[in-house]
Amino acid sequence: MDRVYYTPKEIAELLRISDDAVLDLIRRDEIPALRVSSRIIRIPAAGFDAWREGRGPVRRRVRIAALPGDKPAKIGEGEELPDRALSLRR
Amino acid sequence: MIEATTDELLGYLADVIERAERYGAVVQPPNDAPEVEWRRYGNQLVMELEIRPPANRRTLVEIGLAERWRSIGLDRWELAEYGYELRDFELDDRRAFHQHDVAEFVRRFGVSTHEHCEPVMGHATCRHYAGVPCEGALDGLERLYVLWTARTKPDCSRMRCLDR
Repeated sequence: MDRVYYTPKEIAELLRISDDAVLDLIRRDEIPALRVSSRIIRIPAAGFDAWREGRGPVRRRVRIAALPGDKPAKIGEGEELPDRALSLRR
Repeated sequence: MIEATTDELLGYLADVIERAERYGAVVQPPNDAPEVEWRRYGNQLVMELEIRPPANRRTLVEIGLAERWRSIGLDRWELAEYGYELRDFELDDRRAFHQHDVAEFVRRFGVSTHEHCEPVMGHATCRHYAGVPCEGALDGLERLYVLWTARTKPDCSRMRCLDR
């Protein structure tokens, strides 16, 4: 697989700007970034490449669709729940 | 509990999709369309998103983002359940952040949320791990994306097992 992410330093080299300028772009939410910790930032490579080429996402229109008589899939479906797990061990 | 108005939820779903695409992920149908939807079942609103980070062509990585919001009054909703999951078929592992069946988890473990960690998909040494609650799908997406970018199997041994 190609690069998964860049560091801010690598972005600075690619764009030929300072590290601080990269951090400023991240702070202004221009470059997509992942905060791994308070000191570590990763820039998703595919997101950066798209940003550099001027390919941004198209914001979706959102509506609410009423679905009477139907039921959604349950979150955690099939998962062994705590009480059941306990009773199985007895 | 996280609360929102209807308008906020409409913008929130658009925000989550936009964030995923800004990371370079591909949002799967039907949410790749120009218009997407919350599905309403009675007094609940449901989000179900499937996105794919870029991966090798022969392998597959999926991030699922599911939420269920419940009405708590006129134009007010609260996040009742969530399930954010990374299924990495390339490395064959799974990580998940869950909040569901809250009463049972609180009664048994004293926590409302839990996590799943499978270094080999489908094989967990612990059914439920303690974890840090997510602050919504944007938070869940970022945390799962960080895990994906590491390109290593998760070290589940460092997590606290709730079932023991």
